[in-house]
Amino acid sequence: MKISYNFLKDFVDINVSPEELAEKLSTSGFEVEEVIYQNEHLHDVYVGKITKMEKHKDADKLQVCTVDVGSKTVQIITSATNVFEGAVVPVSLEGADLCNGVKIKPTNFRGVESDGMFCSGEELGIDENYIEGGGVNGILILPNSMKIGEKIEDALLLNDIVFDINITPNRPDCNSVIGIAREISAIYNLPMKEIDYSFNTCGENVNDYISVDVKTKKCPRYMAAYVKDLKLTRSPLWMRSRLFACGIKPINTIVDITNYILLEQGQPMHAFEYKHLSGKKIIVRDAKKGEKIAVLNGNTYELDENDMVIADSEKPVVIAGVIGGVNSCVEPNTTETVFECAVFDLKSVRLTSRKIGVSTDSSLRYSKGVYVDTPICALKRALHFVDKLGAGKIVNGIIDKCSVKTKKRSFTASMSRIDRILGVKIERDRVLQILNSLGLNATLSGDNLHVEPPYYREDIECENDIAEELIRIYGYDVYNNLDGEAFENSSVTIGAYEPRLVFENNLKNELVDFGFYETLNYSLYSSTACEKLLINDERKNVIKIANPISEELSTVRTVMAHALLLDIKFNLSVGNKDLRFFEVGRIYLPKSLPLTELPVENNRLSIAVCEDGYNFFMLKNVVGNLLITTSLNYKLVRSTEPYLHNGMSADIIAEDGKKVGYFGKIHPKVLKNYDISHDVYYAELDTDYLSSLKEKTYSVKEVSKFAEVERDIAVVVDEDVTNEQISSAIKSACGKLFNGVTLFDVYRSDSLGENKKSLAYKIHLLNEEKTMTADEINAVINKVLKSLEYRYKAKLRA
Amino acid sequence: MKEKLEQILKNAQSEIEKCDDVKSLDEVRVKYLGKQGELTSILRNMKEIPPEERKMVGMLANSVREQVEKALGDKNSILEEEALAESMEKEKIDITMPGIGVKRGALHPLTRFNNKFMDICVEMGFTVIQGPEIDTDYYNFEALNVPKNHPARDMQDSLYITDNILLRTQTSNMQVHAMEELKPPFKIVCPGRVYRNDDDSSHSPIFNQFEALVVDENVGLKDLMKMIDIILKRLFGENVKMRVRPSYFPFTEPSIEIDATCQMCQGKGCSLCKGTGLSEVFGAGVVNPKVLEMSGIDSKKYSGFAFGPGIDRSVMVTNKIPNIKYLFRNDMRFLKQLR
Repeated sequence: MKISYNFLKDFVDINVSPEELAEKLSTSGFEVEEVIYQNEHLHDVYVGKITKMEKHKDADKLQVCTVDVGSKTVQIITSATNVFEGAVVPVSLEGADLCNGVKIKPTNFRGVESDGMFCSGEELGIDENYIEGGGVNGILILPNSMKIGEKIEDALLLNDIVFDINITPNRPDCNSVIGIAREISAIYNLPMKEIDYSFNTCGENVNDYISVDVKTKKCPRYMAAYVKDLKLTRSPLWMRSRLFACGIKPINTIVDITNYILLEQGQPMHAFEYKHLSGKKIIVRDAKKGEKIAVLNGNTYELDENDMVIADSEKPVVIAGVIGGVNSCVEPNTTETVFECAVFDLKSVRLTSRKIGVSTDSSLRYSKGVYVDTPICALKRALHFVDKLGAGKIVNGIIDKCSVKTKKRSFTASMSRIDRILGVKIERDRVLQILNSLGLNATLSGDNLHVEPPYYREDIECENDIAEELIRIYGYDVYNNLDGEAFENSSVTIGAYEPRLVFENNLKNELVDFGFYETLNYSLYSSTACEKLLINDERKNVIKIANPISEELSTVRTVMAHALLLDIKFNLSVGNKDLRFFEVGRIYLPKSLPLTELPVENNRLSIAVCEDGYNFFMLKNVVGNLLITTSLNYKLVRSTEPYLHNGMSADIIAEDGKKVGYFGKIHPKVLKNYDISHDVYYAELDTDYLSSLKEKTYSVKEVSKFAEVERDIAVVVDEDVTNEQISSAIKSACGKLFNGVTLFDVYRSDSLGENKKSLAYKIHLLNEEKTMTADEINAVINKVLKSLEYRYKAKLRA
Repeated sequence: MKEKLEQILKNAQSEIEKCDDVKSLDEVRVKYLGKQGELTSILRNMKEIPPEERKMVGMLANSVREQVEKALGDKNSILEEEALAESMEKEKIDITMPGIGVKRGALHPLTRFNNKFMDICVEMGFTVIQGPEIDTDYYNFEALNVPKNHPARDMQDSLYITDNILLRTQTSNMQVHAMEELKPPFKIVCPGRVYRNDDDSSHSPIFNQFEALVVDENVGLKDLMKMIDIILKRLFGENVKMRVRPSYFPFTEPSIEIDATCQMCQGKGCSLCKGTGLSEVFGAGVVNPKVLEMSGIDSKKYSGFAFGPGIDRSVMVTNKIPNIKYLFRNDMRFLKQLR
């Protein structure tokens, strides 16, 4: 919301620096996002008069002008053709830095010095709408009445400062100069100036010219006035200046007045071309389904019952609160007009504005809310300007169709509760002074604070609201110097983490130690993710976003792998190598589709590795190390994950049969789908399940007095015999003496025979009661070898 | 004999002195103290010495032997030291060569920031909880005093799944869940992802928030302000400056926004903070009594306050990350810088 400083000064005598005012507004709840200096590019430009002109002796197209700029006479060389002796023009002198980026310094034109330059409207940042001649392709010729030597910013009223203020949705009243002026008056404790609403009429009766019929509940108030004998000219410069500063294009007196009121009062208005109102009637009604209207932006829109229009006896002429139809507005030759000053339902205006994609100064204000009492002042103020500017003759009477009764609101609050909310006691005199300067009509008797908020403060409803008004004006600085600590008067609570977060953090730290990098991916992805991952189970039933940003972000993820594969692909594509990634995130599994209840949100850890020399067993080791600190008892079975390599993947199955994770090599087809030409190893764990397990407990045996013995054996077996089979056979053959077994080598060669492999094991034996003799050890090893031979046809490797 | 012994001592000392390795030293030892050594033979032939001289010669011979042994020992120590020093000198390696083994990876900066923030909160008595990211309109909006068509809904364009179910736009939905499930007094903090229909150079459709809520008797704005002061100092250092701006959130009243020293420029003013030296870190406020009541908490007895930072921006500025999009791009060239 752009608010002009000069405009504000009409209502309150404020004279502080713009920076100070901006800071004060910001710390009082009206965040100033930018302070715009209209004159930023107008310094060193003055009103000058060309007193003499002669041709440049060495250049046909150049004129040497002697120019009076008040304090001195300067010489300007120009090629402009629209200047003449006696012309009053803007003259930029050394140091000027014009709107189009031109910087002025004295220049020599073929032996003749030029002290500066005449300016066009464009160079001053203005156009034909702002001032006559502002848009010509040449120099801006100023009226003769201008004071020679005056700064151009003062002469053209381009000396304003504009605050771009972020108005919060609870303060629609401050989408206006008057609203902000009221705030300034409260902040600085300055009185508001009187506002002149007076005007003269020419007699007659408005009802003889126009009738208004409101046929919808979405228009709580519609006011109208009638003005005839219009003289449409440019509005005065001071009015144009205000509009221009706030980014509104000046058009003519009547349109400018409506826009001026919009800025000043926050009340959108419309000025109808009277002769185009069929039947001299204004009908406010819901649109009919399929009804079409061509509007000022050049488009035609089809409406339905949810939209609202202003119609005459034949046709819709305005989309209510949003935009006027063609021919609905005053034109240069208009002689009679009807002013509309109405309140439309904010929801209705917002929905229509969104639906047709048209946002105007009017729709923006209606969407934020216009109070039922606002039009009264606004319409009177508009008529005041019509009268003051001699723009036309105002016919007696104002039509007012109001279906809502406004009544004075008041309530009583407890001052001690307000103190408690604030945690600081503001002096009672100051309380009343602040509240009254905000127009809340406050009185205090004992603990009872009685307030009567004005109509434009519907947001003031309870003690908390009053507390906010007090502290934002009193200043939050009070807390900086306040003694005491937080929670002095409240309970002690013991902090704690969610157990899953603690568990996940442990896993994360462990993975980082293993050389992994944590990634974060969007939990939304393309609808093709499952297909690319060959997924054909219930994870295919994905939740779709109804209003997605793009196809790439249209689906809520049911699989983690997709994102990590894309991360790997991206990293490979930019030349990054040795990728070890993990992510902790959620998948979202619907209970039914379309969604009727909330889905299950399952927290997962996913791991992906793409690195030369990496293999299944390295990943298995990582997964094993992550799981060993949990109390999980699990077994590994061949994985059923469709996107993993069937022969090189495992599912992790808990004792209760639940699949709590899986790991393995990514399926070659999937790699192809992702256009990845390196092997990728992937693992995933269900952290919801794992963190819900009871804590791992330990029960430590006494450490043996006797030394452990190690013996190595290598046996040749068929390829399909597994390590697990051999290891458990060794264990059972060793009986009580068993103290562990580790596979330390796998060897294949032609000499072993086809389909054969050699497995080398280190067997750890321990007798808890005595030192073992060589004979005892040999006996055990022989038993092991016999057992392996009997069960798996294992031969001791020579 | 006395002269002979003194000569032997002198000779031995001089030869020991000349030795430059253990081997030649040993030869000297053998020469004097070996079985056939000069000194040994004198000692062995003691009985040939006349008795009146024997005692004196014996003492002298033993003293010479001790002195020779000591000289040998001392020299030996020196030579061993030298030999060790020499061999270690030969073993010298290039200490600038890289370490061997797995190189540590890195946590995402967001996780590090989250953990820091959670630690601070837990120390102050907050319990960390998490909840649904896909939630009903009621928890995300209605119960937070944002009815349908409320202007505040324009502030955050939502991603809907059905008319009634959406991806939460704010972690504030957890305020409602907490108030329904927990009995006051409680202090909770909820980190999590939020979703908006917004994707451009400075916005991610998915970003991270924290929601902290305190409900108790006798808590108010002062507690909030004092607490935020502590948190900001812990997060950004003791010298952090803060500015409070009144603001508006439907579920808090009074509502404030907290600006703190811009961590990108340390308050000097930069493009990120638009030259103000301050950037917004928290939204906060006293819980609107309507919101307490809607979730079944007696607003006459209890009050509360809530605050929530947007995490991503703070992560950006504290790590000087030039572009918010880096946070989700997972580029090793980015991640490696955060080890």
